[in-house]
Amino acid sequence: MSEPTLFVEVHILQSVPPSNINRDDSGTPKQALYGGARRARISSQAWKRATRIEFAKTEAPADRATRTKRIATLLAERLGRPESEGGAALEAAQADRLAAALMEPLGIKKSAKKEEQSAYLLFFGKRQLDDLVRLLGGRAAELAALPDKELQEETSKLPVVSALSTGHPAEVALFGRMVADLKDLNVDAAVQVAHALSTHAVRTEFDYYTAVDDENTEDSGAGMIGTVEFNSATLYRYAVLGTHQLRNNLTSAEATREATVRFIDAFTRSMPTGHQNSFAHRTLPHLVLVTVRTDQPVNLVSAFEEPVTGNQGLAAESATALADELKTAGETWGTVPQRTLATYALESDKLAEAFGPSLPFQTLLEEVGNTVGAWLTHGEIPAQRTEAAQAGHR
Amino acid sequence: MSGQAVLVLRLAAPLQSWGGPSRYNRRDTQPQPTKSGILGLLAAAEGRPREASLTDLLGLRLGVRVDQPGTLLRDYHTVSDHRGLALPAAKVDAKGAQKKTGPAKYTGVTQRYYLQDAVFTAAVAGPAALLQHLEHAVRHPAFPLSLGRRSCPPTGPVSLGLHPDTDLPKVLEDVPWQASAPHRARFRGAQVTVEATVEDPAGDLTATDVPDTYDLKTGTLFSQRTVRHLWISLPTGQQTTGQAADIPAGRTDLGHDPFALLGW
Repeated sequence: MSEPTLFVEVHILQSVPPSNINRDDSGTPKQALYGGARRARISSQAWKRATRIEFAKTEAPADRATRTKRIATLLAERLGRPESEGGAALEAAQADRLAAALMEPLGIKKSAKKEEQSAYLLFFGKRQLDDLVRLLGGRAAELAALPDKELQEETSKLPVVSALSTGHPAEVALFGRMVADLKDLNVDAAVQVAHALSTHAVRTEFDYYTAVDDENTEDSGAGMIGTVEFNSATLYRYAVLGTHQLRNNLTSAEATREATVRFIDAFTRSMPTGHQNSFAHRTLPHLVLVTVRTDQPVNLVSAFEEPVTGNQGLAAESATALADELKTAGETWGTVPQRTLATYALESDKLAEAFGPSLPFQTLLEEVGNTVGAWLTHGEIPAQRTEAAQAGHR
Repeated sequence: MSGQAVLVLRLAAPLQSWGGPSRYNRRDTQPQPTKSGILGLLAAAEGRPREASLTDLLGLRLGVRVDQPGTLLRDYHTVSDHRGLALPAAKVDAKGAQKKTGPAKYTGVTQRYYLQDAVFTAAVAGPAALLQHLEHAVRHPAFPLSLGRRSCPPTGPVSLGLHPDTDLPKVLEDVPWQASAPHRARFRGAQVTVEATVEDPAGDLTATDVPDTYDLKTGTLFSQRTVRHLWISLPTGQQTTGQAADIPAGRTDLGHDPFALLGW
């Protein structure tokens, strides 16, 4: 309850060209009213999925998570591998029997069928399977030779459930897992993602299109006609990661630091794929702002409650509004972030004042890693280098 | 001092969703924050696990003022398997395994409802010591806070502080109007009348939104509480010009609202 907390927030301003990234059942781009004005909206679920796919791309296969009912089969397969490959070199029948016995505490009953299945999908890490094999401590063959009753007695002494409820793969630790029947295996997500909203009022447009029938030589009409709805927007995207919670999920400081950095990277670079081939909407952000706080997370979407008008360009005006909001929130409510790190491609003294100098994105990620790492090991965040000190340093 | 206090919360965000007892593929929102939602927010701020007891929180009395009612947003939400496999059916065979969908179905559809562009002031009354603790927790939450659903983080400060006052309606009358600037701009005149509900044993309305637990294993069962509906007149902070456009204090500026009596 009084456990120290560290929140890492990501605020992104990103423009997308005419596109229909996330649509409803009538094909209309998703929208919401905010500040009385209609906004483009990309649901949090859509962007989380894109982030997960991006995150998984850079994950080593051994660290990947999988969602399956066939955990016993996978475990048996692993027990059958030679010891040099992390297995126990058991024969197939023995491996099946031992795997089934190990799964007993999870309520996965042995059935007459060869293929053991849990009653529900389990989302777990492949590394956790290695941990299960390691739990046997080289006694796999000895255990597999025991009669049923003794085997059950021996395996019930092993901490199988706790092996599956600690050391979660980063994907599970970040995005959570729910197993209604086995609450020991539940993992509350360490990440919270808000719906992305446009910083300005948006009107949906209709693209009327015709397609030619190449083989039609008889009349001059189109082969087909239709409409696609689209809009273009400068989006404000917000996500917050509870580093303390992530550490509880991962049980390793180093893994927590790494997952934090990789989440920010994946969240920044990901893009939902809706209508991607029609609109080629893949863009990179104008601004990535990372704020590190030990008190309460602050969603800065209120910067855009009064919609940006775009007389000076939507991205530039949005960035200025965001800088103002960060400053106002700090002055009014005393919620000043411990660290502010940013990457941006916009020219403005105001931005430099509010966010600090623009860092190359790789440097930003490294700095976040250092900050989180320092907090995880020393419980403190090193003081932010001021601009003057940085200038002196140069 | 009776040792009682009122904690005032400002609940504002582009989207909020106060589910109550909705299930399966249609996830509703109530037009106002629910007791379950508010207690969940407080418990999350404190860092209570889902299975933790709520008994000390259930006795807190809740008052909610609708500073800016917002409108309903329907969100079309699809679920599919990222490997491109067909989804299983809801029906199970004799062994309890889910049957396959026939013809194969690849996308599940759910409807989620949100309140968009709404602002509420919630007041929670109870023992001063407990509320002081909760107030600190809201300012230093263990889990990121959300307004009814995880994808709805609040914007602006959530805690408006503690009032050493035990009169719930009085506190709701005293806290300034929290509506957004664009919403304020639509009102002319010195007063605005907003609706509110307060928990009151002598109330004439019931709300079925008191949770027993947030434990995922058992699911949440909601019980009833009695509430009272009231109208509160608040200063808009605007100077009246003394001309004919002046709207007298009271509810005339709400226009014709036949649903008000139904508590919608």
